Amino acid sequence: MVTLWVLAVGAISQAGLFKSVVLFVTMGVVVAVAWARLGAADLAMVEVAVGAGITGALFLNTLGHLEQGPGKGGQGEDKARL
Amino acid sequence: MNSSQIYVIAGAGLVSVGLFAWVVRRHLVRRMMGVNILSTGVFMVLIGGARQVEGGPDGVPQAMVLTGIVVAVSATALGLALIQRIYDQRGERSVEERGPM
Repeated sequence: MVTLWVLAVGAISQAGLFKSVVLFVTMGVVVAVAWARLGAADLAMVEVAVGAGITGALFLNTLGHLEQGPGKGGQGEDKARL
Repeated sequence: MNSSQIYVIAGAGLVSVGLFAWVVRRHLVRRMMGVNILSTGVFMVLIGGARQVEGGPDGVPQAMVLTGIVVAVSATALGLALIQRIYDQRGERSVEERGPM
């Protein structure tokens, strides 16, 4: 329980957004372990596959898009100008 | 205090943390993460409460949570697509925090 809270608070208060996503995925895995202990094995399977895997992939996709996506004054325009 | 009440309290704590992130934080990705943490807390309260019933764990809250996880992932995908669109429209590319928090 304490591990869960520490991971959740760290996920929202971490300075770097990538570290935050990593802590969020770790929290998903810990939640899956908690559900396996609560007697819901199917929920644990779904959580570790969907809740941690696909959601983490979506967040990382958004981070990559925000870092090198198209925008004004970006690297793509610098390359086009050169 | 038995073991399932511990999980109910942990779920309540996750709900409060997610609500804090959703209301206070400025960055949109971090807000989306707060919504996810909040939904995880709600699921944990449901499953922990289903253990309190006599005669074994109830199957209906587990099915509801199983559906809720899938719906939460699809809602997260929609929200993150909207966030990408918003940052494209604004022309902002920084992932740093803006504002006071």
